[in-house]
Amino acid sequence: MNKRFCLYMIACAVVILSACSGKDVAGVYGENGWSPNNPIEVVAAAGAGGGWDTTARLATQTFEKEGIIKERMPVINKPGGGGAVGWAYMTRKEGNPHNIFVTSPPILLVPLNGQSKYGYEDFTPLANVIADYGAFAVSADAKWDTLNDLFDDMKKDPSSVSIVGVSSPGSMDHIQFIKIARAAGVDVTKIKYVSDQDGGALTQLLNGSVDVYSAGTSETVEQVRAGKIKVLGITAPERLEGETLEDFPTAVEQGIDETFVNWRGFFGPAGMDEQQIQYYQDKFKQLNDSPEWKKIREKYGWNELYMDGEEYEQFLDEQNEEMYAILEELKLLR
Amino acid sequence: MGSIEGLMSGFQVALSLQGILFVFIGVFVGTFIGMMPGLGPISAIAIMIPITYSMDPAIALMMMAGVYYGAVFGGSSSSILLNAPGVAGTVATAFDGYPMAQQGKAGKALAIAAIASFIGGTVSVVLLMLFSPLLSSIAVSFGPVEYFALMLLGLTAIASLSDGSTLKAFISATLGIIVVTIGIDGQTGTARFTFENAYLLEGIDFLIIALGLFALAEVCTLIFNRNEAADKEKNEKIGSLKLTKEDVKEIKGPITRQSFLGFIIGVLPGAGATIASFIAYITEKKIAKKPEEFGKGSVKGLAAPEAANNAATSGAFVPLLSLGIPGSGTTAVMLGAFLVLGIQPGPLLVQDNPEVFWGIIASMYIGNVFLLILNLPLIPYISKVLTIPRPMLISLVITFSMVGVYALSFSTFDLYLLLIFGIVGFLMRIFSFPAAPFILAFILGGMMEQALRQTLTISDGSLSIFVERPIGLTLMIVAVLVMTVPLFKKKSWNPAKKKTDAA
Amino acid sequence: MLKMIHRKIALVLIVFSFLYLLMSYQLPEYPYAIIDADFVPKILGFLLLFLSVLLFLSKQKETEEERKKRNIPKADIVTLLVVCAFMLVYIFLFEMIGFFIMTALFIFICSWYLGYKRHVVNGIVSLSFSLFIYLLFNYMLQINLPAGILPF
Repeated sequence: MNKRFCLYMIACAVVILSACSGKDVAGVYGENGWSPNNPIEVVAAAGAGGGWDTTARLATQTFEKEGIIKERMPVINKPGGGGAVGWAYMTRKEGNPHNIFVTSPPILLVPLNGQSKYGYEDFTPLANVIADYGAFAVSADAKWDTLNDLFDDMKKDPSSVSIVGVSSPGSMDHIQFIKIARAAGVDVTKIKYVSDQDGGALTQLLNGSVDVYSAGTSETVEQVRAGKIKVLGITAPERLEGETLEDFPTAVEQGIDETFVNWRGFFGPAGMDEQQIQYYQDKFKQLNDSPEWKKIREKYGWNELYMDGEEYEQFLDEQNEEMYAILEELKLLR
Repeated sequence: MGSIEGLMSGFQVALSLQGILFVFIGVFVGTFIGMMPGLGPISAIAIMIPITYSMDPAIALMMMAGVYYGAVFGGSSSSILLNAPGVAGTVATAFDGYPMAQQGKAGKALAIAAIASFIGGTVSVVLLMLFSPLLSSIAVSFGPVEYFALMLLGLTAIASLSDGSTLKAFISATLGIIVVTIGIDGQTGTARFTFENAYLLEGIDFLIIALGLFALAEVCTLIFNRNEAADKEKNEKIGSLKLTKEDVKEIKGPITRQSFLGFIIGVLPGAGATIASFIAYITEKKIAKKPEEFGKGSVKGLAAPEAANNAATSGAFVPLLSLGIPGSGTTAVMLGAFLVLGIQPGPLLVQDNPEVFWGIIASMYIGNVFLLILNLPLIPYISKVLTIPRPMLISLVITFSMVGVYALSFSTFDLYLLLIFGIVGFLMRIFSFPAAPFILAFILGGMMEQALRQTLTISDGSLSIFVERPIGLTLMIVAVLVMTVPLFKKKSWNPAKKKTDAA
Repeated sequence: MLKMIHRKIALVLIVFSFLYLLMSYQLPEYPYAIIDADFVPKILGFLLLFLSVLLFLSKQKETEEERKKRNIPKADIVTLLVVCAFMLVYIFLFEMIGFFIMTALFIFICSWYLGYKRHVVNGIVSLSFSLFIYLLFNYMLQINLPAGILPF
């Protein structure tokens, strides 16, 4: 009897405690516009150590270290569904300006693939900070020396060449290859793409299981330097800077007028007001211009690509249209 | 090749005051984080990366390597004491470690785990040092065909993983592979059996299954026995740490064999510590004279996976250091740690940064010694856990499992899944379906399916690809032999036994 | 006919494998796959069906040991269900109320319910354990457990 009573009391206490939890989440509006008054949660919709997580952790550290943002900025990992879980989490934060998240092209591709109910239009794009580009590599003794050699063969018989990438079909490594091949006139519906998510993609190229490796530029550098593979082309609009990187020819200079940008930026939830957006844009601009962030970019081999406001939104719309067209042609739209 | 001079210069870095200090910090932090629920080497390394920013690269990477193998080392304690593996690589450790602890031999179990880890770690560093360039060609030689064959070989052990009905073991294994088909299919991007639920898209994490089927199912048993006049002597004595001569004799073979085998499996990208520990466990059970002791507190069954998972950790450095290929999630994060410091691992690392390459290898010798002397004296304190009164222990194990799962995905959905698998594990227990085949099939089945379909995509559906590659073919022949030979043996030796086996 | 326990289990498994097969046949087709996503699930479904039928037909008697394992007193089942209910409540309120409060409450109540009598020790352990994990994860390791209604 006594026991039951105590349990009841504890249950009551929990209910009362939770009722008093009405936290003030609005932030403060002052002379200089809006500013936060709570820790800012930065969501990485992936596990520890990935691209989103690294970007989020480095950005928050720089914000804190350089004193750009005074509030604490804990990074929250919400992995699952290639981002879908994290985005669903963010839609529940609608109107709460103390939550932002880091994202990249999957926020366009995953919803188009039908794997997420929410896409970029359900959030408030704040600022883009960095970019990376794709590279297509073949074994050093392969018969192809340029993208055109490869695509000429593929135009004759697209299924004679197999391509490996880390991501699943309809996602980054696949689509970046398709996008360039399509511009070169290859029948993209017949391309043979193999996905290896267990870390064996590069080894599959090295041991000759597959012919082409579609990856980020930085993942190919070391093997190129060691003379094991050669990069036929990259998806950047212009040549990149840096040792070895500068030797990679772009698709554009080989006469294939197409690019693929792996952009990375920060979004907020829906329902942010002008002043809140302005606050974050100022802060990200400061971050982008800080020498500390420049050092980090160099260390990680990231390229600067700052955009905000209308420019960013327009960029996203264009990217989304392009992705839509490609996935439609591949019949991967769901 | 100048390996000796290289190693000497490596030791010079590693034995400097700074070197010793940071290797120690690395292994200490690693073991500590490894003991925490749900935090394995990946989180440990990710957490430590920012600390290295302004450090000398060689020293920093020695520390990070220490964090890595330290975390694998530390993960075994909760497996042995609570049947609640904190990281995937130590699930197999629980098979025999936990029964040992239940028999009042917790001290010895932890000591064996520490010693096996130490030897596995050290032997594999020697191999890493001597054969790294040579082995890197093995790492590259494995394509989808070979992986398919390797996983098939692993799965053939299912029958040997159960004591009771073979049929039930097969059902359990089939269910394990069925569970792994949940989620986005890697080859087509099709969402399978996800019921429009975003949380299921990436599949169910291995640790949720392991904690549910082992830790929570064990909690149920503990609840039933909670008032059992606690065998005072058994509970309060953790047993001596000392190994008897027989123990040493018993574990000598498994540790040596599995240090080598574990290392080689670690070298293969994609395989890693978890698969190494399972394969170690089942090969030892296959070749043991008394396989029936496995699962009931066999020192061999404990030593084998512990030696293997640590050996695999050093093995994973082969593709990382000499090819620049991260073979697993953990080494991918490790690669990130290298890049932050401006070091690009790969074929040119030995030439460009010899002090880093040899420094890491030399530091691993020292780090493994540190781990041993750090952990052995701690055993009596850690195993005090067992003296916690049952009701409290039960609550703590449940909390441990929940925090472990939450720290993986930060979603309460996974906590519900954990509860469901706890119930499944409990039902399997009371109806005598073995859980180990489920776990094994779960971990091997997913990779096997992907490898099979990658192979057939590359070959345009032709099956001849399976016999064209020598390593793959050899592995498959071995797998078929492993499956069929015992059948003939039983038939010819003991026809009377066949009746019960057919059930 | 159904008195034997393994037959009941076999029937459940047969139903399950039918459901699984049904879902496998409904998987959408991927236009370019040589071996599509439904290939392995279909094999698994039929394999499970086959094995369950074998189990149903199996004549093996339940051993005494096995029978003992599934004979559980009613009281224990109730205890188990109550602990499950505690866990459900814990999970449900975990993100709302926060890690620290819920974990402390869970350890305290669960230990108490299972018969731990030293309430003061119980209180101290549950509070300090939860606080330790919370501070360690959130502040030292930067892995954020939900704060819930607490301001820190």
